[in-house]
Amino acid sequence: MKYSNAWHLRDIILLTLIAIFFGVIYWVVGPLYNVLTVALTPIGLGPGANDVVMGIWVMAGPLAGYVFKKVGSATLGEFLGSVVEMFLGGQWGASTMISGVVQGVASELGFAFTGYKRYDWFSLNLSVLTTTIVTFGWDMIRNGYAQYHLGLLIALFIIRLVSTWLFAGVLVKAIVNLLDRTHLMQTQTR
Amino acid sequence: MATISVNHLSFSYPTEDGQKPLTLADLSTTFPSGGFSLLTGPSGSGKSTLMKIISGLYPKFGGLITAGEVCLNGTKISNIPETDRGHLVAMMFQNPNQQFAMDTVERELIFALENQCVPPADMMARVNRALDYVEINELRQRQLNSLSGGEKQKVALAVIIAMQADTILLDEPFASVDPVARQLLLAKLAKLQHEEHKTILISDHDLEDYDHYIDHLFVLNANGDSLKLLSDEAAKQKLDHFKRQDTSNQELGLPATTDQPLIQAHHLTLTAGNSTLLAQPEINFFQHHITLLTGANGTGKSTLLLAISKLHQYAGSLLLNQKEIAKMRTRQLYQQVALIFQDADQQFLNVTVSEELTLSLKNSRTPAYFKERLPEFLTKLHLEDLQDHVVYTLSGGQKKKLQILEMLIMATPVLLLDEPFTGLDFSSLQTIIAIMKQVTHDNQQTLVIVSHQLFGLDTLVDYHVTLTNKRLQYVEELA
Amino acid sequence: MNPSLKFLLAVLIALEISFTSTWLVNLGLAVIGLLIILSSRPTLKRLAMLFFVPLIPALALAVAILLQSNAGTHFALVLFTRIYAYVFVGSAATLTTTVTDLVMSLEQNARIPSKFAYGFLGAFNLLPKIVSEVNVIRAAGNMRGQVLHIWSPQLYFKAILASLDWSENLAEAMTSHGFTEGAPRTYFKRIRIHWWDWLIFAGSLALLQIALFGLHLR
Repeated sequence: MKYSNAWHLRDIILLTLIAIFFGVIYWVVGPLYNVLTVALTPIGLGPGANDVVMGIWVMAGPLAGYVFKKVGSATLGEFLGSVVEMFLGGQWGASTMISGVVQGVASELGFAFTGYKRYDWFSLNLSVLTTTIVTFGWDMIRNGYAQYHLGLLIALFIIRLVSTWLFAGVLVKAIVNLLDRTHLMQTQTR
Repeated sequence: MATISVNHLSFSYPTEDGQKPLTLADLSTTFPSGGFSLLTGPSGSGKSTLMKIISGLYPKFGGLITAGEVCLNGTKISNIPETDRGHLVAMMFQNPNQQFAMDTVERELIFALENQCVPPADMMARVNRALDYVEINELRQRQLNSLSGGEKQKVALAVIIAMQADTILLDEPFASVDPVARQLLLAKLAKLQHEEHKTILISDHDLEDYDHYIDHLFVLNANGDSLKLLSDEAAKQKLDHFKRQDTSNQELGLPATTDQPLIQAHHLTLTAGNSTLLAQPEINFFQHHITLLTGANGTGKSTLLLAISKLHQYAGSLLLNQKEIAKMRTRQLYQQVALIFQDADQQFLNVTVSEELTLSLKNSRTPAYFKERLPEFLTKLHLEDLQDHVVYTLSGGQKKKLQILEMLIMATPVLLLDEPFTGLDFSSLQTIIAIMKQVTHDNQQTLVIVSHQLFGLDTLVDYHVTLTNKRLQYVEELA
Repeated sequence: MNPSLKFLLAVLIALEISFTSTWLVNLGLAVIGLLIILSSRPTLKRLAMLFFVPLIPALALAVAILLQSNAGTHFALVLFTRIYAYVFVGSAATLTTTVTDLVMSLEQNARIPSKFAYGFLGAFNLLPKIVSEVNVIRAAGNMRGQVLHIWSPQLYFKAILASLDWSENLAEAMTSHGFTEGAPRTYFKRIRIHWWDWLIFAGSLALLQIALFGLHLR
């Protein structure tokens, strides 16, 4: 199967729609993050909620990478999603767009390391790993994670890795499997 | 003026395994320049595909021309530079919702003019003229998302007028357009044809109201391998026949005082955007009865079903079993009410036919009843050999049959059906009606059916409600 | 202010305060952001939301620093004010600019290819339909006895199928409205970058550096 790296109008609309859908699902289905944060804040583990739901935030990237199989699709998917989120009034304001780029590049790295040649369980797992490491690095700076005790830091990293693996790995794979079985995708993304 | 000629055209949507089944096969005809032509044919015959080939959207956006060509004024469509096409041909689409890039009416018109590189100084004059032409100046600053189906199609026509396209294609444009807007649009199109010498081509499976306007009637057959211009005589006959189908008077009763109301509306108001669709002081739908709901396009029938399903907000009161629907928990509500969506794709959750049926059987209220009868139903509906087929690539008719069947299996006390019979051929229609009748009787269900297609329904439905002038009313006749 | 420059400024400010730890600057930025927000006359409800929504992450981060690190109250204050600065500066940009204006400015001033500009815009304008489609998908699940959770693949699967369908419709419609990738277009509304846009942009950044540096010295 040959894929072109050029972005056409239809691809851009599709990518934006997918990004918005994922954002809307997150908001409509449940204020999971807020509930969790409020519950964990009194014991000083509030930021942990961010790590628990991290996987949901970063799903659009690997999914876009997988669906479009183009250079830059994961980054663009996350970035467009973050622009939409910012206009909808997200909780992170102007830093949302920065996070979008960070998350996008993070998941893109997984595909880049395989030279955009492998789109399988391996590259998806690699993307999960790069996403976890890079976004965690960004939170060390932005959210002051660097100041935590080492034990907590390790615990948060593991939680984030598990969350990212479950959502951006296992769930994305399940979604892609459903899509592949319909055979609707390959006529669309040329 | 422009002549559209189709020469030995064959078109295919290639499948994944490299096969090229022909959607259109060896079609040839000429749509006369300056004429008002109507293209009809059963759903699934490929009308939409042909329209999109003529407008140059296919094969760019899908499919493959395997033989032949389409020419505009003697030039092959693919040889006309894309940037020049807008002056030659523009299209109005079936679904009015995904037709606009911008947020407001005025901006959408300007967007189209910018695309055509119209000098900015000339734009406002063209926008004004186009809005005046379609009489929608008051919509100028409105958000497109807040417009009704009819208003959106008026805007779509205004865009085409502003673009000064020579040939205007309309692909089933009136599916969600109310009668008043439909008349206005048809009149404006006729005016464009007579005064501005535009060539107009509409595709529609519904032939109502067209006889005053059209010059030529073209028929595409079900297999997409024959496209014929009917003689004036044959065209007149076909148009008259279509009208007669709808006026076969059948008498039904009115609800009896002993009927138990199951769905009750008090001072119910439904709105879409800024317009009121329904203002209903009082109406009931009755338990263990099948009620048919009819009314013109775009008047709010689907919206009412959506409101009962808690998918559209309403003002006033709407009760199910004495409980306010808006206040019911969704899981509890959907154990009692299920909706058969107009768009079958919205119903499906899985990939294959057998997965869809398995899910319904698993969660049915009466699984034993259906396990016993399912093989028979599948055979009758010619679905038995399609078990491993992907639901999203079934034909329109097969999708509808599967959709109705899987929702019947759920056996919810209330089943709402939004145009369940579109795209069904005659024998499928009879079979599905027989199955519906049996199943809903055996499971004591209450049905509300919205349908344009009335044929054969006299044996199925108990009552008939019409929606006119924002009011629902029980009537005795089925017409 | 020119929309492209405005957003670039907001993002640069957010980037800079991510790497600095001066709570007074964060507070100052939040106050300036708030003043701009107030000038756009938001509804009371919206204003209340603006104060409430960042409170959750801000408090979580601050409390965590106090309980789970040795960084102390100063750093907790930095993180708390940082979140408010992010949100108020971001909202100052989003509440005073429409998506349409931003996209048109990006096309004309930042030279973003028009296919990205209008592709994004067309999809964004379907937002209300997307919200109702998510509700329809969940209802379709419930009607079949299948509750769709945030971890259910079908929920996303159906959303992507709808996106496939809509993206084709919209791309075809835009093409039919004369849009051609890469082709020249005229602009009804010229969006320019004036000298004062550059002045505000450069001036704001310069002031930020001075404030950060000055407070750092102290």
